[in-house]
Amino acid sequence: MAQCVQSVQELIQDSFVPKVAVLCSEDAQKITRKNNLNFSELLRPFCRLTSEGHMRDSNNQVQVVKNLRISVNNVVTRPSVPTSGVHSPAQRRLLSEVVSASQPAEGGVANVITAGDYDLNISATTPWFEAYRESFLQSMPASDHEFLNHYLACLLVVSSSEAVPVEQFLKLSQEQHMIQHNGEYTNPKWFIPNTLKYYVLLHDMSQGDEQRADSVYEDMKQRYGSQGCYLLKINSRTAAAGTDEQIPDPWSQYLNKSSLQSQVRNPAMPCDESSNRQSINKGLRFNHTTPALTLVLCGRSCKLLDYKGKHSCELPSDKPTRRAKSLQFYTGVAAGTSHGACLTLNDHNRLRLFIQEFTFRGLLPHIEKNIRQLNDQLVSRKGLSRSLFSVTKKLFGGGKVPEKSIAELKNTSGLLYHPEAPELQIRKMADLCFLVQHYELAYSCYHTAKKDFLSDQAMLYAAGALEMAAVSAFLQGGAQRPYPAHYMDTAIQTYRDVCKNKVLAERCALFSAEVLKSQAKYSDAATLLIKMTSEDSDLCSALLLEQAAHCFINMRNPMVRKFAFHMILAGHRFSKAGQKRHALRCYCQAMQVYKGKGWSLAEDHINFTIGRQSFTLRQPENAVLAFRHILTNDSQQTATQQGAFLREYLYVYRNVPGVCEVALPQLPLPCINSSATRVYFGHERRLAEGEKQAATHVSLDQEFDQDLAAVWQDLEEQVVAAANRGVVPSTFYPTQCCLNSQTDNLHFPLAVVEEPIIVEVAFRNPLKVPLVLSDLSLLWKFTLKDFSRPQPQDVMVGDAVTITNEKEAIAPRVRKGKGGIPSVCKFLTFSLLSWQARLKLLPRQTGQLTILGLVYNLASTPSTGDSTINSNSPSVRGRQDLEIQGPRLNQTKEEKTSVSHGPDRRLDPTITPPMPLLEVFFLQFPTALLCGEIRKAYVEFCNVSHVPLCGLRVASTHPDFFTFGSSSLATPLTPLSPTSFENCSAYKTLATPPGATPGSVTAVTLVSAADFGSGGGGVFGTGGKRVAEIPLGEGTLTPGESTQLPLWLRGPDQEGVHEINFLFYYEGAEKGGKISHRVLRHTVFICASRSLSVRATACRSNTLPEEEGRNGSMLVFVDVENINTSEAGVREFHIAQVSSSSKQWRLHKCINPAENKDCKLTTRERGKLCFRATRCKPHEATSKSLEKYTFADLSLGNEQIISSTTPCADFFFRRCQSSESWRPLIAVETQGRHSRSQGAGPGGGAEDITGVVRKCNEVDLDIIVLWKAFVVEDNKQVILEGQLHVALQTIGKEACSLRQKEEAQEMVLLKFKPELPPPMTRPSMEQLSHLIKTNLHYPESYSHSFVQKSLCMIPVILTLSNCSLAQVDAIIDLRHKTTSPESLEVHGSFTWLGKTQYKLQLRAQEVMRLPLRAGFLHAGVYNLGTPRVFAKLADQGAMCETSQQTATPALIIINST
Amino acid sequence: MAVCIAVIAKENYPLYIRSVPIQNELKFHYTVHTSLDVVEEKISAVGKAMADQRELYLGLLYPTEDYKVYGCVTNSKVKFVIVADSSNTSLRDNEIRSMFRKLHNSFTDVMCNPFYNPGDTIQSKAFDSMVSAMMVQAS
Repeated sequence: MAQCVQSVQELIQDSFVPKVAVLCSEDAQKITRKNNLNFSELLRPFCRLTSEGHMRDSNNQVQVVKNLRISVNNVVTRPSVPTSGVHSPAQRRLLSEVVSASQPAEGGVANVITAGDYDLNISATTPWFEAYRESFLQSMPASDHEFLNHYLACLLVVSSSEAVPVEQFLKLSQEQHMIQHNGEYTNPKWFIPNTLKYYVLLHDMSQGDEQRADSVYEDMKQRYGSQGCYLLKINSRTAAAGTDEQIPDPWSQYLNKSSLQSQVRNPAMPCDESSNRQSINKGLRFNHTTPALTLVLCGRSCKLLDYKGKHSCELPSDKPTRRAKSLQFYTGVAAGTSHGACLTLNDHNRLRLFIQEFTFRGLLPHIEKNIRQLNDQLVSRKGLSRSLFSVTKKLFGGGKVPEKSIAELKNTSGLLYHPEAPELQIRKMADLCFLVQHYELAYSCYHTAKKDFLSDQAMLYAAGALEMAAVSAFLQGGAQRPYPAHYMDTAIQTYRDVCKNKVLAERCALFSAEVLKSQAKYSDAATLLIKMTSEDSDLCSALLLEQAAHCFINMRNPMVRKFAFHMILAGHRFSKAGQKRHALRCYCQAMQVYKGKGWSLAEDHINFTIGRQSFTLRQPENAVLAFRHILTNDSQQTATQQGAFLREYLYVYRNVPGVCEVALPQLPLPCINSSATRVYFGHERRLAEGEKQAATHVSLDQEFDQDLAAVWQDLEEQVVAAANRGVVPSTFYPTQCCLNSQTDNLHFPLAVVEEPIIVEVAFRNPLKVPLVLSDLSLLWKFTLKDFSRPQPQDVMVGDAVTITNEKEAIAPRVRKGKGGIPSVCKFLTFSLLSWQARLKLLPRQTGQLTILGLVYNLASTPSTGDSTINSNSPSVRGRQDLEIQGPRLNQTKEEKTSVSHGPDRRLDPTITPPMPLLEVFFLQFPTALLCGEIRKAYVEFCNVSHVPLCGLRVASTHPDFFTFGSSSLATPLTPLSPTSFENCSAYKTLATPPGATPGSVTAVTLVSAADFGSGGGGVFGTGGKRVAEIPLGEGTLTPGESTQLPLWLRGPDQEGVHEINFLFYYEGAEKGGKISHRVLRHTVFICASRSLSVRATACRSNTLPEEEGRNGSMLVFVDVENINTSEAGVREFHIAQVSSSSKQWRLHKCINPAENKDCKLTTRERGKLCFRATRCKPHEATSKSLEKYTFADLSLGNEQIISSTTPCADFFFRRCQSSESWRPLIAVETQGRHSRSQGAGPGGGAEDITGVVRKCNEVDLDIIVLWKAFVVEDNKQVILEGQLHVALQTIGKEACSLRQKEEAQEMVLLKFKPELPPPMTRPSMEQLSHLIKTNLHYPESYSHSFVQKSLCMIPVILTLSNCSLAQVDAIIDLRHKTTSPESLEVHGSFTWLGKTQYKLQLRAQEVMRLPLRAGFLHAGVYNLGTPRVFAKLADQGAMCETSQQTATPALIIINST
Repeated sequence: MAVCIAVIAKENYPLYIRSVPIQNELKFHYTVHTSLDVVEEKISAVGKAMADQRELYLGLLYPTEDYKVYGCVTNSKVKFVIVADSSNTSLRDNEIRSMFRKLHNSFTDVMCNPFYNPGDTIQSKAFDSMVSAMMVQAS
């Protein structure tokens, strides 16, 4: 139970006070009327006695009466409403009025109770309950079974101005007597037959003759005794004089309330004045004082006011103003003056003195006397009769108790003792004792009375006695007697169940609960209060439930949830009782417990109720807030319920006054996932235009891919570096066309004027019912800035102005500054779905734009489930802001320890001056290619802006995929060259001269790599540069201009689907803009299918160098296999031409078996081609210091493809580039090899043997196989062309056109330690054997007549050629015998004649001939390959390494003639 | 048979709450929520020292006009609340105990599910069907 202003003792004492009636003469009334008061009202503020009174009890013991209060009321003889045990409607109305008048003070006392994890903010006091209780207790009708509110005394007031005041007194006295004893009036009930009459002579100081008054008073004293009369002098101030003097007005706080009560009160009821409590009055609203006002105007007449009258005379000011002001207003209207205008402070004192005098001299002695009388009566009666009677009753009545009790129960309310019945005398005495605070005696009397009543089965009387016994036992205080709680319980039960008197039961319960509370028995109190709730009175139940709730929270272990639950119940009852404010308050308090604890159903219910109550109380803001909660939470309600909530919300929302005028309110639905907002800068692209295929660029339909973004950024960095002479500028910032949550949004994005900005907003509908959004538009703020001027002028234009339907008037103003905003107007319905809306802004001026949020109309669909949107379904317009939180910072320690988020500037684009805008279209762009296939396509560049465009470049992830041709060779821009093959070959061809045999070298061209690499800077050295400049005509594209360029494509070497990214880079003609460059992205997917696999091996030729003119010659074997698997498509491949490209070697001749001239390969067929390669001419190799490549074409067909021109050579060089960039490991190795071989000159380091040895095995020859594929496509034969590259690097090692093996090698284990340089391994025998090439020169067959000469001597020349660049020592040992079994089988052996061992020194690449002679004894076939050649590097000193030249059998036939 | 069965987390938010569909669900939510006060009272009433040996079953928490509310607390302070119709006299203490045992076992199974995130609301078919078996069959 909430804290009360009064203590329990005070409460009970104040509830039962001695009552005094007033009878006033006409003249006396006139006197008091001057103060706008009647006599009882005049006394009311002074009715509490400040001093102590004394009285003696029956035992002559002095009893102190403290803090006594009396109640003075006019005698009203109106017949009483029968005490039916329930409140009359008027009383109910009064009570409800009182409760609703008392509202919690704004920002008033609230204490925070912490219980468990709940922090509750609860108003500590419940003044409405106290007001209710007070008014309830005061409205208790005087009943017959108790005397506490019967009149004890009567004041007879007569004015001194009366002609004969004594007569008047007599008249009044008779009137009183008549009222009491006539039997005509039942209502003012009198305590004792001989009521105390106190004669008051009222003297008006301003008018009457004071001396006369004194003399009359003297006369009165004579008549009535000095203790029975009083001369009261008032009105000592003239009304006119004292207006300026400020006199306290103690009446005001009593009057408006008491008058409010008295108007509905049973007029016969003695009107008790209220206690002095500010708290209640604070809560009083001015408009509730109006009934009081009307009452005052009506004067003394206490007729029931029609309540409707209250509304008619309602005062214009309905706002609760400060109390002082309202009071002034009230009094001003009422009578023009305040209360007690004629009273001075001195008069106040006189009144106070009067009351004191009356109480102590008149009332208390009267009570004392009566107590004594009653006591005497009782004592005299006790002895025999009563006790005897009761004993007999016990003896005889015992058996009949049940029967009797039932009979008794039926008419208990009817059972009445005669007022003078002896049973009642004791009760009377008890009541008297109680009134004068003699609780001990009172208790014993009540106790006795209780027994008597019970034995008489007078249940109502018994219950009354029980109640008062318990109360007086409590008020005795101390430990004398324990508080008999069961008395109370019995009393309540009896009142309620037996007597059916709800009102009394309630009174009893109120006391009991209060007492229990004071004893900290909160749980009992709560139970009692809850038990008292009933269906009859909602207001009462609500109040009791609320108090019970307070009991729960005040328990030692606060029961928060019970508190909350009972608060809700109370709120429910309040709302039923029409106490909307209280209901709302209760729900709000309960909400604190339920909020955010997961009890969503309950939470929704409370929120919904709060919303409704708030709405009916004209607090639409709160209502909207509460409804928001229901809708924003992930609701577990059913769809129909949600639909109802939504409709209710929309309804409330639309009724919020003035909501659309100032700023649009925030809408809770649908949820906007702010971080998922995407912003796209630029036009929406056309994807295709006729045959043209536009660059894909970036679009909102694409998902963001982090890896892909990194690839693009890398490409852009490269192309920017290329455009800035190899350096990436520090201000470089990758272009982002589409911003989302994963992109880097730290910078203000740059948008170009006149280019749209598309904002994609992600909505989610958390409800199960569809929502209808319409008239979506963006809300933005724009600051005008002119970037072309050095000092930009900031002009705020249209600060956060939106274009809404309601604001058509504002729109033009915005348009002037900013430009048209096409808002997307859509109607859509969706439910429990995510959905994105794209909204477009078109900036017309430069400046700073901030996108604030969205404006839209929200409506619900009709509940019928009709999918068609009813246009007149209620919709509201509101906004939602887009607030994007940046990513969480996690760099520094501070950021890690705290939660801070970086900025996200996605929605704050800077609008920059116009920039060129490029569009790229592709023509005849294939989607599928064979591996290595060459295809020609066209690309069209189009400048669609109003600004010239220049610096066009392209970067790609696959630079070997395409080429624009070499600029230096003046590639004809016309699509077809006149000499081309009949079916539009991409290659430049020449018809083979008719005489030439196929397979013979027809052309050798020298080409510098720079010519082909010029597109992307140096091909080598820059390593992996993937940027190509696009050869535009004049370098710029003027506005609107478009250029078409040929583009050659080569199918990737790997089969499968390839994603190829192109990044087109371009700049504006003017430098120094906000945007330095722009890019355009294009992604193609190429499906490559297998074509041919080419494997090539180089072998050292053993033929003598002289034969080919130069020392170097090689055999190149090319294995070509058709690995195409598509059976339908490719019919056969023709190898059209094999070309070589190298710095040192060239293909010389085809030494194939001649019959397969055209070299056709059908499915899964393999062909072998054999070529001889020779070294280039020395002058070619060394000329100009430029490393030129020699291209040699060996046409196998009837036309020659010039491999040294555009597409072929381009792709060749691009392949070199890419192979370098793709194979960094190998590149490093190659470089190392070069450096080593350079260091291994004469006298080089010993460790370079390996290098030297390896060097002599190096070939570095690239074979280009050009093929034609015959493909059947739509019953038409199509010839496709292509080229494959094989790089031969080492002699004897097979190289393949596919890179699979090499890529497998790339997978190097991660090494955490720096790798130790590999130990210098000595070159193996195998390798050393390649240092020197030997060759035996001899006649193949020789005829000798062994008959003539038995020894045949044949000269043999051994040619030794040093392959390496170092000096080599060679030892030739001829003594060596063949050990192989085969040679042993040879019939005869031969011997070398002459010197058997030679030591020779061979300089670098020197060829030496050594004449030998062999001697044969018989004819036969001999193997001359027996000489052993040991080679070692000359500068190796002791480390003499030998190697054996694995000699091929050199057979000689010796014929005998 | 129960008319409402609820599982409440240690922090007193509902993990699972199910009531007989034809009846007022909100009322049961309120009832269960309010019963937590009694549960807390009962737990704190048992001394701290006794907390270890404390029986999980708390017995009748409180009777309302129409219902009886029974409670049970696991060692991890997860509460089970069963609301039964007062008119159902066949329901004895033993039956209630066995219901709680079943509920606890089933709850343990839910917790053992590696895909269950402790603290989430229970969305398990097995648990659902077990609870349905214990509920009054709505006709």
